[in-house]
Amino acid sequence: MRIVIAEDAAVLREGLARLLTDRGHEVSATVADADALRAAVAEHVPDAVIADIRMPPTHTDDGLRAAMAIRRDFPSVGVLLFSQYIETRYTARLLEAGAGGVGYLLKDRVGNVADFVSALERVAAGGTALDPEVISELLRKPDRGLASLTAREREVLGLMAEGRSNSGIAAKLVLSEGAVEKNIASIFGKLSLEPEAGDNRRVLAVLRYLRA
Amino acid sequence: MGATRRVTVLLLGAPFTRQARRDLRFCLIGAITGLTGFLVTAAVLLPALVISASIVGTLAGLALVVAAIAIARLLSALHRRLLRMTTGERITAPVPPRAGSGVLGWLDRRLRDRNGWRAVGYIGVKLPIALAEGYAVATTAIGLAEFAYPLFWLLFFTHPEPGERPGRMNAVIPVPNGHWAIETLPGTLSATLAGSVCILAGVWLMRGLVTVDARAMRSLLGPSRVRELERTRAIAVEDAAEALRRVERDLHDGAQVRLAAVAMSLGMAQEKADDDALRELLDAAQTGVYGALADLRRLARGIHPPALESGLADALASLAAASPIPAQVRADLPERPAATIETMAYFCAAELLANAIKHSSANVIEIIIDTERTVVLRIRVTDDGMGGADPARGTGLEGLAQRVSTVDGALRVSSPRGGPTTVTVELPMRIRGGDT
Repeated sequence: MRIVIAEDAAVLREGLARLLTDRGHEVSATVADADALRAAVAEHVPDAVIADIRMPPTHTDDGLRAAMAIRRDFPSVGVLLFSQYIETRYTARLLEAGAGGVGYLLKDRVGNVADFVSALERVAAGGTALDPEVISELLRKPDRGLASLTAREREVLGLMAEGRSNSGIAAKLVLSEGAVEKNIASIFGKLSLEPEAGDNRRVLAVLRYLRA
Repeated sequence: MGATRRVTVLLLGAPFTRQARRDLRFCLIGAITGLTGFLVTAAVLLPALVISASIVGTLAGLALVVAAIAIARLLSALHRRLLRMTTGERITAPVPPRAGSGVLGWLDRRLRDRNGWRAVGYIGVKLPIALAEGYAVATTAIGLAEFAYPLFWLLFFTHPEPGERPGRMNAVIPVPNGHWAIETLPGTLSATLAGSVCILAGVWLMRGLVTVDARAMRSLLGPSRVRELERTRAIAVEDAAEALRRVERDLHDGAQVRLAAVAMSLGMAQEKADDDALRELLDAAQTGVYGALADLRRLARGIHPPALESGLADALASLAAASPIPAQVRADLPERPAATIETMAYFCAAELLANAIKHSSANVIEIIIDTERTVVLRIRVTDDGMGGADPARGTGLEGLAQRVSTVDGALRVSSPRGGPTTVTVELPMRIRGGDT
């Protein structure tokens, strides 16, 4: 993958670059503010961007706004937001334009290098990677459909929303892929997601909570 | 005996001190500026008030009123300076009127310039003081002249033309019927004595008048006590809020970044470690780092929620999204309140929401924020629970009311038994006396 990193803290910026280079990825540019990020994306058109949310110039949600602009102008570029906080409101804004090619992780997650890199790969491939905190926050929300889910189904939905594939979920929960598929079908049923929605149902299941 | 002598020296020696000369200068100038200042201001202000009363002349009349206030402000600067030169006391000038937009805004700001009107008030108070100051100066001057009567006598009256009488001098003291004739050289000594008394009386009168005038200036030409308290309180509140925001920023850019970097290094080390025991140790270290990061996050959120950066509506939506009881936010804010007010409003809403979740057994909670006449920010948290919330019993609501009152806000509770409960918090959009 070719990657652009935007992070104002040098220690994390350089650390990320090293981590990704070690894993055989190409870091096209590292920048420290939102304006430079947009310029770097226009120049390199990378596969994925890792962007801090709170960055110069205003130190508020510059990274989020840059991410949305990048998704609009360069749909092929996946954007992984990377923050000290999970704000439900930010998640909703990020997913407004669609749940593909975006991710939102706590900075803590770089601690698990394999998971972090696979989240980045999913985003680059047009998938979704949401932090487990986003999911647990969403699952706390009251929803009649959700209330009827079993504990196992909640677990599966949580992992699904993190952006994992069926085989990924099976590996994580030590289940067979068949069992995972059954659970997912049951979730779709309880949340009244009709089959004609096709592949998008996975995303819809997640979005359902964001918009509740 | 020593004490009596010291008092006598102090009393009688007063005319020979430097302070006496300063007092004299103060009273001389003050008498002139006080009198002319009153006449000029009155000459501008009175016709202005008359003109303003007629429909046609209103604007011109009001402009004249503004001119009178400006004159009064100029004179107060002069008088503050005069006092500083006399007693060394510095009276801080009150803040100038704020700039208004447009002609009417400008006029409005200046007409409601409270400190300007206090300066006009001083000119009124100063008039009797100025007259007394003039009297004291005159007394001193007459005293000085009479003190020298023997000298005058010797110079002009001891060499009469042949056949003429030596002539006579008139002695005067500034009291009713205070004059008498002097026809001999020893008689002039009565004038010298009267002159001495006049000088002493004049000097002490001037000293007293300076004190009285200084008191009038302090109360009318300085910043008003209430304003001053409001200003310092606003500074204190804003400083505290700013200090907290700085702590949050420092955490975000410092400790949190470092810990995330440590987590990353530990993760990379784990990948490279080929020893199970080592990997276990690294794992334990990383669990510790995650715990520290979670603690810091909680701490920072309690100080200054990051979503507040993009506005109160966003921050409250984030808050409501995490509520276990369905909570809706409706926000109608044409403009952003001051940062300190936003933070306060957020924590008020957070606490009211937490209260509703904990105590109300409600099905739905609604948070409404709007403004009233763009000067008051209103936060209403309503739940359809069982009601019966009493600010007198629960310390939570009382504490909230106290915090809100530090910026002249108010808290109202309506919670009949059986519900619904509505708690309304009203905050000023800008802190009174503050900059932002």
